[in-house]
Amino acid sequence: MLELRGVSKTYRNGGQPVEVLHGISLTATPGTVTAFLGRSGCGKTTLLNLAGAMDFPTSGDVLIDGRSTRTLSESDLTTLRRRRVGFVFQFFQLLPTLTVLENVELPLLLAHAPQAAETARDRLRWVDLEDKRSSLPYQLSGGQMQRVAIARALVHSPGLLIADEPTGNLDTASGDQVLSLLRESATRFGATVLMATHSAEAAAIADVRVSLRDGRIQSIVGP
Amino acid sequence: MKLLRTLILRPLRRDLLRTALTILSVALGVAVVVAIDLSGDAATGSFRSSMETLAGKIDLEILANGGIDERVIGRLTALPFDARFSPIVETQAVLEGVGAVPLYGVDLAGAPENAIVPSRTLAERLHLAPGAPLTALIDGRPWNFQVGRLAEAGSAEFLAIDIAAAQQALGRYGKLDRIDVTVSPGEDFARVEQAVRATLPPAYLVEKPGARSDENQRMLRAFRWNLRVLSYISLVVGAFLIYNTISVSVVRRRAEIGILRALGAGRATVLALFLAEALLFGIVGAAIGVALGRLLAGATVRLIAETVNALYTTSRPAPITLTWSEASIGVVTGALVAFASALAPAREAMSVAPTEAMSRGAHEHHARLRWRRGLAWSAVIAVLALAASQAAPLDGYPLGGYAAALLSIAATAMAAPAVVLAVNRATRAIVRRRVVGLLAGRSLTASLSRTSVVVGALSTAIAMMASVGIMVGSFRETVTQWLDVQLRADLYVRPSMPASAGAYPPLAAQVPAILASIPGVAAVDVFHGLEFHYRGERATLGAGDLDIVRRYGRLRFLPGTDRDAVLRSLPGRDRAIVSEPFANRHGIRTGDRLTIPLGGRNVTLAVAGIYYEYSSSQGYVIVDRSTLLRYLPGQPATNAAVYLAPGADAAGVQRQIQLRTSGYGVAVAPNSELRRNAIAVFDRTFAITWALEAVAIVVAMLGAANSLLALVLDRRRELGLLRYLGASAGQVRGMILTEAAFLGVLAALLGLALGFALSLLLVFVVNKQSFGWTIQFHPPGELLAGALLLVWSVTVLAGLYPARVASRLNPMDVIHEE
Repeated sequence: MLELRGVSKTYRNGGQPVEVLHGISLTATPGTVTAFLGRSGCGKTTLLNLAGAMDFPTSGDVLIDGRSTRTLSESDLTTLRRRRVGFVFQFFQLLPTLTVLENVELPLLLAHAPQAAETARDRLRWVDLEDKRSSLPYQLSGGQMQRVAIARALVHSPGLLIADEPTGNLDTASGDQVLSLLRESATRFGATVLMATHSAEAAAIADVRVSLRDGRIQSIVGP
Repeated sequence: MKLLRTLILRPLRRDLLRTALTILSVALGVAVVVAIDLSGDAATGSFRSSMETLAGKIDLEILANGGIDERVIGRLTALPFDARFSPIVETQAVLEGVGAVPLYGVDLAGAPENAIVPSRTLAERLHLAPGAPLTALIDGRPWNFQVGRLAEAGSAEFLAIDIAAAQQALGRYGKLDRIDVTVSPGEDFARVEQAVRATLPPAYLVEKPGARSDENQRMLRAFRWNLRVLSYISLVVGAFLIYNTISVSVVRRRAEIGILRALGAGRATVLALFLAEALLFGIVGAAIGVALGRLLAGATVRLIAETVNALYTTSRPAPITLTWSEASIGVVTGALVAFASALAPAREAMSVAPTEAMSRGAHEHHARLRWRRGLAWSAVIAVLALAASQAAPLDGYPLGGYAAALLSIAATAMAAPAVVLAVNRATRAIVRRRVVGLLAGRSLTASLSRTSVVVGALSTAIAMMASVGIMVGSFRETVTQWLDVQLRADLYVRPSMPASAGAYPPLAAQVPAILASIPGVAAVDVFHGLEFHYRGERATLGAGDLDIVRRYGRLRFLPGTDRDAVLRSLPGRDRAIVSEPFANRHGIRTGDRLTIPLGGRNVTLAVAGIYYEYSSSQGYVIVDRSTLLRYLPGQPATNAAVYLAPGADAAGVQRQIQLRTSGYGVAVAPNSELRRNAIAVFDRTFAITWALEAVAIVVAMLGAANSLLALVLDRRRELGLLRYLGASAGQVRGMILTEAAFLGVLAALLGLALGFALSLLLVFVVNKQSFGWTIQFHPPGELLAGALLLVWSVTVLAGLYPARVASRLNPMDVIHEE
């Protein structure tokens, strides 16, 4: 369960304050996909970073499972990311030096979780890439890399899956595959999925569509 | 120029710390070379006799082994030519507050008997004016003089007294050390020289002035060469780092190069850009290095001068002078090393195709595929190194040995990628258990080309340290064992003058008899040492009671020699034994005949055996006393070894000797003290070697820090991603430190292997060919283990700053950079 209460974020750019998000309030529930739509620079990525406990709001609160991220120490935040949050990026962000299997098991290894390899293989099977487990990332296509990234994001069964433009770098067929996996993450694994996107096809799989403009919510469509 | 500014200079400014580290590495490398060169010049460049400064132009010098009979002066002055013949006696005097200074006995015509003439510089230092009293210790005894005039001789410091007074003080009646000849300009020089030679006994040497200085320089050639070669180690290590820096620069800017090429830049432009970057590092680093070297020289000159004095000949350090040409050579050397090291990566940059804007991953993949080729080259170069090590010395220089050392370093560098991969593969199962180990191992093999260069640089420095450590350790052990067999007497007696190589002050004639008469003394081996000239080189002619040596000593001969029979064969006959360095230097074997000018005659000696000796690379020729005194009657003894009767009280006998010889200026030392002093001289000699090693290690450490920092900066995105995936700051830090530790282990492994190979070259090729002695191989295990642990720890420490940088990266900034 994720809740944003009156969240604002201001950065300083060349000494001048720039307000990227202003008074954002919304709730995302487990098993649903929430899509954030808007032009580049409207604050989608900043919102996802705040939701994923990678950053703190200038004002307002981000509550993950009822706890404000502000109250968490550096090590609490690390623990939170290890257990509760998974990330998927537009440029896949796989470690080029690790094999596919090692990339997927990495969050478990960092968290010192048991049976990392078995769980990782399980997730690879789910994204239909088990046969590629020994390949290096550069040997995969873009679509395959993003599926590996999704497997990695879900390997530790996080409650919150954050995807920033997950289809932005893919062709239509690969994009569709990735979107169906994201949808399945919510329905099958019960994750709260937050997705930033420009694409109407991507937004179509979401339960809730939030339009952002200049750091403010323009509209919310959905239950 | 604009391209240089935007593509090269601007990134350098952004990466100020790495730029500074690279420049500092070059600066240190050049500084060491300049310091050794300057201090070597200062410590060994002052052989020109101060008397030459005083006496003005000299045309010829007359010398004789065992001294010149002064009666020849009468015959020379009777020659029908306009020439001046100046007899000279040379020794050293000790002045309170100053120490030993050269003392010359010259013809001070008309001066009072007790007159002394100091050089103006010395007089000013001692605040002496004409008429002032001055007491000088000559041969251990005080002599009172009165300052006459002052001698104008530039910066030289010396004393001159009348020749008769000098002969009296030294007990060398009728003997001269040298005769300086000045021929009037109107005379036919060749005719005068011919007539002078004809007047003198055939064994006398007539040389052009400066010949002795040249002889000294020749004698020190091997010593200075080896020191110079050692000083280049830091520069070699620095070369690896320049290579690394330019490689990083090329890898990082591949995309930019691709764009430049697409926009019409030619290959030559790209090549020039990266070579210019290297030259910039080289020139700036070398300029700083020259200045730093001048400062360092002040500290190293004393160390080198001490070694020259202890092992070769009397020398006083001259002032250090850094000329423009030396400074320019330093800068050009730095620039050339930088240029040469950058050639390969700059050529790689040149080959980037316009369409190519490859990621590091793909580029490094190619590097990984090339490791087999590297390994094959390594094997070829290793074979060449082996071949070079077998070469004979060229003009006395162990060039084959040096070439083999350089080739071994190259072979190791070529094998580095294969070793990195192999070690990584071998440790994969272990490191996989910890995620930081897995990530660190992968990262190092992924950046294989860069990792290999760092490992190459570090391992070269470690190898140098290990090889010199093994060589010095082996040498020390060999010398210690040799001292055990060489120093068998219980007490040693010598004139109480400051000790210096090549100087043999006489022992008062009464002393041997006094020693023999002291209760508890079983035998006294009286030794006569004198410097002699042989085939344009200097060596020592020694004479002792070889029957006593046979009975009490344990002199070790080369294998296959019957020690007893050899020593028995010497007394009363024209037979000699020679030290191993002398034999090697002059290509002498047992049974050969050796002709030595002694006094007025050329004496032919049969070589009865070759013995191990480690105190002089110039070497010794030893005859029995009876033989020496036959050719040089009245030649004074220079020291004595006293063997005690069983059960005698050594301390008591020592006290008795001191008591009974108190008027003769002698020093008595027990065996243990002599041994301690010998080892102290040995350790002092190699102090500078260790200092040079330390600088090489520091340069390598700077390189390790530099490279780790480059790895961190290049992998910002990956490090940021790890934080997104749940890595703590501590885990990121741990990963970089693990990489540093990995680098350290790899470098230690390779460095130790290379170090062993280099130590074999140093011990059995370079030392043997340079100095002529056989060193027994004794690797100092504990010292090596300690040094390796220290280097490894410092490598890990070098990773601290890069680790801190890595753990403080803002993940959001770096992950969205693309």
